[in-house]
Amino acid sequence: MFQFTAMDIQNTQSQMRKGVLEFCILSIINKGEVYPSDIIDQMKAANLHILEGTLYPLLTRLKNAGLLHYRWVESVSGPPRKYFVMTDAGKEAFSVLLQTWNDMANAVSLLTQPPTPNTEA
Amino acid sequence: MKKVININFQGRILPIEEASYETLKQYIESLRQYFDAEEGRDEIINDIECRIAELCDDRLKKGAVCITEDDMRLIIESIGRPADFEAQDGFEASAPINSSNVKQEQFSDNGNDPQKRLYRDEQNKVIGGVCAGIANYLKLDPLLVRVLWILLFGISFFAYVLLWIAVPNTSASQVGGIRKRLFRDIDTKMIGGVCAGLSKYFGVRVGLIRLLFLIPTVLLVFNWNHFHLFQFWEFDDFPNFIELTFSPSAVFVYIVLWLVLPEARTTADKLQMRGEKVDINSIKNTIQTDMEGFGKRAQTWSSSFDKYKKPAGENETNKTSSSTAEGAAPEPAQRGGCLHFAGRSITILFKAFVYFVLGIITISILAALFGVGVVTTGLLPLRRFVLEDGAHNWYAYAIIVFFIWVPVIGIVTAIIRKIAGVKKANVWVRGGFWSLWALSWIFIPLFFATLTKSFSKQNEPQEEVYKLANAKVNYLEVSAQPKLKYYNHTWLKLEPFTFIDSDTVYVRNLRIRIVKAASDSFEVKYVRISNGKTLGEAERLASKLILTSINKTALYF
Repeated sequence: MFQFTAMDIQNTQSQMRKGVLEFCILSIINKGEVYPSDIIDQMKAANLHILEGTLYPLLTRLKNAGLLHYRWVESVSGPPRKYFVMTDAGKEAFSVLLQTWNDMANAVSLLTQPPTPNTEA
Repeated sequence: MKKVININFQGRILPIEEASYETLKQYIESLRQYFDAEEGRDEIINDIECRIAELCDDRLKKGAVCITEDDMRLIIESIGRPADFEAQDGFEASAPINSSNVKQEQFSDNGNDPQKRLYRDEQNKVIGGVCAGIANYLKLDPLLVRVLWILLFGISFFAYVLLWIAVPNTSASQVGGIRKRLFRDIDTKMIGGVCAGLSKYFGVRVGLIRLLFLIPTVLLVFNWNHFHLFQFWEFDDFPNFIELTFSPSAVFVYIVLWLVLPEARTTADKLQMRGEKVDINSIKNTIQTDMEGFGKRAQTWSSSFDKYKKPAGENETNKTSSSTAEGAAPEPAQRGGCLHFAGRSITILFKAFVYFVLGIITISILAALFGVGVVTTGLLPLRRFVLEDGAHNWYAYAIIVFFIWVPVIGIVTAIIRKIAGVKKANVWVRGGFWSLWALSWIFIPLFFATLTKSFSKQNEPQEEVYKLANAKVNYLEVSAQPKLKYYNHTWLKLEPFTFIDSDTVYVRNLRIRIVKAASDSFEVKYVRISNGKTLGEAERLASKLILTSINKTALYF
């Protein structure tokens, strides 16, 4: 009936990644004021690779949605830089997302665990 | 040896190789295209520009003399190209997606792209990839397009060459705006903005392009009216050649380009059309000069967009309810695109038709007026045969000048001004033309009133009888003088006259009736009738008519 091709798998993968991307970025910003390239570095450290070209539009969208705002911070070299901070709405949204993520993660790990053999015994 | 230039980029002075500066420009442009539909487009691009400037600065701080092409390539790769964003559509975990696979997908998937563009297809090309590109654009089999092209070879050749030059190829689309792009320029348009767009693209005066389109079209119209203007100069082959190769295709090419080319709507489009460098400042300048009238245009766009959007939206809801979301998603977009295209095609074809008809009417009126003007002006030396001295003469002059030549000159000037793209209407000149023409309407009734009056009375027929006394000659031979050529040209051939100069006219419209004689003597009766203002005047004129020559054996007229 419904054939699940390699293309569909890719599609699903990218859907999954897309779903958590905002959450990951919000959790980094939630820890404190950051510069976009720091976000890239922190995600890289967690083995999640994102292009700056995809990060900037996302930040702009989150900012326009009222979850983030930015501050110009003077830098030693060159013009001031944009640092991003959570707004109150952002913090609220993050806590909801965190709750959802924890529930999801629990559910997924429960469902993906192989059946333990000692239940029968 | 490479040329290094200094640029002020987002508040930093950067020494940069000219070639990598070009790469940078193209890259920014490709981003601008990619984020075109995005609400915060300018902000996103500004942020990315800042980051690029910062990365460049870092490189210079590490001791680089200038930003080389390699530097620029690395920086761009770290930020990512639009193609990478599409491929990622999110972000990558450690497993990289097969990139070549994804690129192919992009090509077949063009229908989802809201801003579809015509590209020449370099991969599937036979000559220049134009047919393949059109096939991609219209979602048709390239073979079909090629067969049509061959069938219409004479017509499509001109169009092919134009599109080949003007349409960027697919490889250019990967990098972003390598070339200028061909748009329809709706700001300075006359009909569809095709000529204006072409002139921006090729950097020539818009009047030149319009002439190129207009001359064959005018010739086509003249040909339809059987106005073989060139016959006069024995250039018989010349206009035929033009008519066959160019005249239908000029209209055709115009319509094709009208259908296929996008309007230059956004500021970035307009800058691209002119091939100017696209940065924040130049955009700001263009926007400022552009603001007037923008609101109005925006309204018409949005209303027409809504019209197209509605059917597409209905499709979507129907579809999603009947099948899975994944399968349905691309199709409504595609349908919407088709509907949109069909709708646009119909309006454009209709508009083209109306303009074509209007154009033909204008040109025909012009040609007719011109013809009448030439004839009447040519007849001016003969006015004394018809006109009396005094006011009558002046009425005739006024009518010829004001009623015929004023509109001819007015229309021609208006056309030239339009073609040359003169926008500012000169109220005084226009008003002058119209009022002079209106003035002629006063003279027309006056003229005809006096004219009919001067022909109102007819004399008593004056009869003269010539006996054909010589009984041996029992026949009457009537022969016209050998035909004298005045002008052997349709609209200058004045039927009743065989020869004219300012005080004599040889009239051909004599009527000869041969009737059975009552007695056995043969005779020729010569009847002279004339009209005049008064009876006496009519009689005087009639007595002036001269029978050319009378021979003993025959009458010559």
